[in-house]
Amino acid sequence: MGAMPTEDSPVSQPARSEAELLFALVRDRYGNRLTSEELAAVRTAVEAIVEAARALRAVRLDNADGPLLPVRPDVPRQP
Amino acid sequence: MTPSPVFLPLRELAALVRARRVSPVALTEQFLERLETLGPRYNAVVTVTRERALREARRAETEIAAGGWRGPLHGIPYGAKDLLATTGGIPTTWGAAPRRGQTFDVDATVIRRLEAAGAVLAAKLAMVELAGGAGYRQPRAAFTGPGRSPWGEDAWSGGSSSGSAAAVAAGLVPFALGSETWGSIVSPAANCGVAGLRPTLGRVSRHGAMALSWSLDKIGPLGITADDCGLVLEAIAGPDPLDPSAENRPFRYEADDPPGRRFRFGVLRAAAEAADADVRARFEEALDVLRALGTVEDVTLPALPYEAITRTILFAEAASAFEDLVESGAVAELTAPEDRYLLYARDAILAKDYIKALRLRAVVAREVDRILAGLDAFVAPGRFAVASGLDEPFRSAFGGTVLDPTGAIGNAAGLPAVAVPDGFGDRGLPTSLQFVGRAFGENTILAAARAYQARTDWHRRHPAVG
Repeated sequence: MGAMPTEDSPVSQPARSEAELLFALVRDRYGNRLTSEELAAVRTAVEAIVEAARALRAVRLDNADGPLLPVRPDVPRQP
Repeated sequence: MTPSPVFLPLRELAALVRARRVSPVALTEQFLERLETLGPRYNAVVTVTRERALREARRAETEIAAGGWRGPLHGIPYGAKDLLATTGGIPTTWGAAPRRGQTFDVDATVIRRLEAAGAVLAAKLAMVELAGGAGYRQPRAAFTGPGRSPWGEDAWSGGSSSGSAAAVAAGLVPFALGSETWGSIVSPAANCGVAGLRPTLGRVSRHGAMALSWSLDKIGPLGITADDCGLVLEAIAGPDPLDPSAENRPFRYEADDPPGRRFRFGVLRAAAEAADADVRARFEEALDVLRALGTVEDVTLPALPYEAITRTILFAEAASAFEDLVESGAVAELTAPEDRYLLYARDAILAKDYIKALRLRAVVAREVDRILAGLDAFVAPGRFAVASGLDEPFRSAFGGTVLDPTGAIGNAAGLPAVAVPDGFGDRGLPTSLQFVGRAFGENTILAAARAYQARTDWHRRHPAVG
């Protein structure tokens, strides 16, 4: 079972750097709507997102391993 | 003497209605009164649809009196999670204060199908706001108040199909519709001690349902028994020209079990070991029952970041689904404080990582199917713990504070699962057993759950609700 990143997980330095950059993006977009406490919680949530992403990136896949993503060319008909 | 219809399994209730020993109108009146008087106790109801219910009940009564019985749901009241669109000015709130007055001019396909089966829509049922898509971390995350389990004054009913599970458990409706993206049927079914069926992704049309995550959302039934869930699934499943994600596979519920049918069960030990001691104890007892029904063996899955896969997909798609709420700032009107800001963090998910999660999900589906090919079902606790208290921050895989490989795998791979009660744990609260099957293998897991329920009586125990 893969380790699951949580808000209490230690965040590695590369992950922290990435999280800081992504958090800056979020803060730039929405920071004026949030209190300092809310921003701190958002920062922690961004760190968890980055840790999850790093867990995904750590799994090697082949070029042929495509996404499980149904694409249907037929559009829904209206009633 | 006619038995009380409250807590009767659907097959027994349907027999009374068909034989005209119970009138659909009287039945509907009885459940409407329970919804109106008891519903608020559990914060289970958003809207009682009295006018529509009585209109549908009168029609059912007329048809049945004329010998036109449509099937086992004819004249039976039910409730629908309040993310399923309904016409006639009945609000569809998504459990969210900013959508409190929202109405639609279409009925969701599942609502139309139940109407065609003769069922009677009696209520729109409470839910966690946005089906939990904003990241809630405690039960007070709906404008209707925290869902209460009928089994405990201070016990959360679970989410996000909170009202659907509580209403069935309290006998406010004979069955209900819920939806699951990750845990939202199985988990409240566990907290409320009822049966809940998460169908295979694509088995049931989602036309007219709130989207949380297009590649994970499923609509399914909750009832007193697994058999109830099968009967409802037959009515709502199947292709739909309005929803291209609905598979072109008609579903016929097969409830005639061959005598002595033997099953092959696999136990996901990682899931069992992640559960609390009281839940584990009930699970081990349930395994003893299952050993009388067939074989039980431990199975191991490859080491993959299951929770990270499912969570990344869910979070990324939810960020897009609720983009208007985020961009407009309307999230500030949500009930749970954390729901007012956690959606903002989802902008940090990179497209490449989302695609990687989708690719890994294909690996998960392939690996799990390879193992399930030799089994009838995986079995695991329906939930890792009994219901949390109303004022406790809860542990959840969704929020990243507990492991839930069964839910992460089952939802990532789009597999069906049915949860049924398997006893009581700490504080006298219900525990649950879930059967997870191969894609489109609902009949197999329902047969296994029926066999389990034929040997146990947990589904015949009901809370004292008046």
